[in-house]
Amino acid sequence: MKRFRLFFAFWVVVASLRAADLPALWTERLKCVVAVEFFTETEVDRRPNVVFGVVVDTQGTIILPAAAIESRVVPAQLKEFKVYRPGDPASAAGVYLGQDALTGWHFVRVEERLRPLLVPITQFVAPGNATEPALAEEVWGIALRGKDEDFMPYFLQSRVALIQSLPQRTGIAQQEVAGPGLPVFNRDGGFVGLALSSFGQTFLQFSRADRGGSPTMLINVEESSVFHLTSEVLPYLARVPLNEFGRPLAWLGAYGFEPMDREVAAFLKLEAQSGAVVSEVLEGSPAEKAGMQARDIVLAIDGRSLPRFKPDRVVVSYVEREVERRAPGDALTLTVLRGTERVDVKVTLGDEPKLMREAARTYYERLGFTAREFVYGDAIARRLKVADTAGVVAHFVKGNSPVSVAGLRTDDWIKEIDGVEPKSFAEAAEKLAAIQADGARTEFVLLVGRGGETAVLRVKLK
Amino acid sequence: MSRGFNRLLDAVVRIDVREVAFESGARRYASSIGSGVILSADGLVLTNAHVASPRAVELSITLSNLERVSAKLVGWDHWTDLALLRIDVADAQRRGLKFAIAEFGDSAKLFPGQTVFAVGTPHGLTRTVTRGIISNNNRYFEDTNGVNGYETGAFNTWLQTDAAINPGNSGGPLVTEDGRVVGISSRGYLGANNLGFAIPSAIARRIVDGLVADGAITRSTIGLVPGALQDLENFYALALNTGVLINSVALGSPAARAGLRGGDILLAIDGVKVDGRFPEQLPPIQNLIANQPVGAKLRLTYKRGAQTAEVSVTTEKLESRVGEEWAFEKWGLSVRRVSRTFARENQLSSDNGVIVIGVQAGFPAEVAGLSRGDVITKINRQPVDALAVMQAAHAAFEAKPAPTLIEAQRDRRVSLYILKP
Repeated sequence: MKRFRLFFAFWVVVASLRAADLPALWTERLKCVVAVEFFTETEVDRRPNVVFGVVVDTQGTIILPAAAIESRVVPAQLKEFKVYRPGDPASAAGVYLGQDALTGWHFVRVEERLRPLLVPITQFVAPGNATEPALAEEVWGIALRGKDEDFMPYFLQSRVALIQSLPQRTGIAQQEVAGPGLPVFNRDGGFVGLALSSFGQTFLQFSRADRGGSPTMLINVEESSVFHLTSEVLPYLARVPLNEFGRPLAWLGAYGFEPMDREVAAFLKLEAQSGAVVSEVLEGSPAEKAGMQARDIVLAIDGRSLPRFKPDRVVVSYVEREVERRAPGDALTLTVLRGTERVDVKVTLGDEPKLMREAARTYYERLGFTAREFVYGDAIARRLKVADTAGVVAHFVKGNSPVSVAGLRTDDWIKEIDGVEPKSFAEAAEKLAAIQADGARTEFVLLVGRGGETAVLRVKLK
Repeated sequence: MSRGFNRLLDAVVRIDVREVAFESGARRYASSIGSGVILSADGLVLTNAHVASPRAVELSITLSNLERVSAKLVGWDHWTDLALLRIDVADAQRRGLKFAIAEFGDSAKLFPGQTVFAVGTPHGLTRTVTRGIISNNNRYFEDTNGVNGYETGAFNTWLQTDAAINPGNSGGPLVTEDGRVVGISSRGYLGANNLGFAIPSAIARRIVDGLVADGAITRSTIGLVPGALQDLENFYALALNTGVLINSVALGSPAARAGLRGGDILLAIDGVKVDGRFPEQLPPIQNLIANQPVGAKLRLTYKRGAQTAEVSVTTEKLESRVGEEWAFEKWGLSVRRVSRTFARENQLSSDNGVIVIGVQAGFPAEVAGLSRGDVITKINRQPVDALAVMQAAHAAFEAKPAPTLIEAQRDRRVSLYILKP
């Protein structure tokens, strides 16, 4: 009987310890999460954005998930970064450092004043960090309320339902386990993953009153049940971009990798592995120089066969990530199936040509549109020879503006302005500025290309 | 009514058509009704291309005496929406069937306000006569898929009439009070009242002669898409009534290869000045090029900016965007040949291949993941440069079903598929 009592007493102690430590773990781990507010300034409006991030070092560096900033938004449009601690209405200024190409993370650095109050996530890495959470293991995380509630933190908990390679090691919990961009922990407080910006849990809301009406679809964007495991996070925390555009960017220049299904793999006698079909090899690219051809099927990278993923599609991002994790100048050997023959293609990766988000642009208020420099990607999208291209692209067209009324649409290719083909963006910008400044002007003419068709647009200025 | 009008009524026929469609991954047959008019004692019947096309597998003509006789397609021209049939005259003679013959009038002499009659089979109501006036004698409209998916209207203008034209009137004659055929009723605006259109007899006569001689109308093209100048003359600093705007140039066409491009102003063709201020002036300009023999060299005078230049262009044969169609029933797959025009419009690297126009649920093509719009470029690693390549593979599959490898392109992405038995 005495023995039983002892055992009972011991059990009570353990249980109370466990119950007590979660709030303590919670309080401690709150210090590695922040809310980040910034403004996106476009031609016609200024929108506030609120996203969540995690602190990665003692220098005040914060990472935000890839989807935190729309891909069409350029760094110059991002203004006034402010960093908030959970539950605290006071903010500190932040600086946008850029986006990393491999992880897609946006990096922000907060001013020195706030740094001592923050703790990097690396503090909570369990010793060894070797183990992935087990299936059915309990995991918990932090989510934050909105700005009106001072980003008040709240607790989410779930169990691991599934772990998959997509191709990153990804955990999927039974239900929402953290705010997107925020960390997930195990029962002992060890860091086990970083929540993605959700797969978009959707809910259908039916109305009781309006029985015939169609349901409203609600998407939970504030919480996520999907997280990248620490093996996809910890090795990359030091990839702080050197500039806003995340350069240098490695460039292969093979476009449109397509996966193959099991049936095709079996037909090509590739049962144990996967392959990716190259749809196009881009003009002047490293892939073209190395002799890669459209319709080659990539089977291996540097001698390592492409693994089989579930679903098949994942092989595409696997190949793309293999390029993104390298640097310009790095060599890469791609083993491809060409017809029935295996060929080794040795590529020296190049520097990504100027991207659309890096292109020069100017907004013309009176005309009602933003002209953007014509870059390599524009030529590719329109299947043009890069050497044959001139003109500018309508990056933004304001509704009901003179050019909009004349029929100009976003992404139209402006080939000529008043019958003259501009040789450079500067020349086009100068011409447009002159038209805009000339108050006596009543009209001008644009020659515009859209999907292989060309049209003459006559723009009436009042 | 006049004696001529009564004779005309005996020359108008009802046409029952059974035609094949391939869109669903299988051959499907459908029936439709149109009208036509007998033109000659040897049994030529003129109707619309959207009534009788090469897809027709059975053409049955009901004469004015309600006797039926079969007919065969002589040829069609979807550009003008006209088709020519020939009655099985031997059969008609054996059965002692008689029919009247219509006569053409001169459509060029029509004036707005003139009374005309439409005769035909609206909604299957045989020998219906409706009356109206010529509302406009020179209406332009072009339609890239107006005749069962085929292009129409670029080479002719239309007669507009308020004589009621309903579905089934198609192919019937539009006649003057003396019973002379001045047009072939072709279409009406849906949801509008009495806005009907007919192909003028002046055009129809030329097309009939061409179809009788060759079974088809051959036109030349250089790939220019003209646009009306409307009020852009000032901007281009043009003298009044000169030039036609080149709205766009088909990629890879002779005009594109010669360096012409959208925004240029075409001033003259072989020294003949062109005037394209208004849309209805465009068909004659198009015909200046179309009527040239294929392979002819044309001298084009054009203006770009302040410069006027001349360029020599060699014409090529005008082809429809719509290629030959087929259904592979064991695969549940319907396809259409990639035409030169389709390949250029979609910036394909070659005009090899077939477009998927339909798949049947549960059949190998659908199971493999092929869908409408995919362009099949290879089958079992062999380029699909003819429909016959696919047909041979399908025959082999029918005889001995085995996994078949398909390479297809969707937008710009190339994927592989397996058709599994």
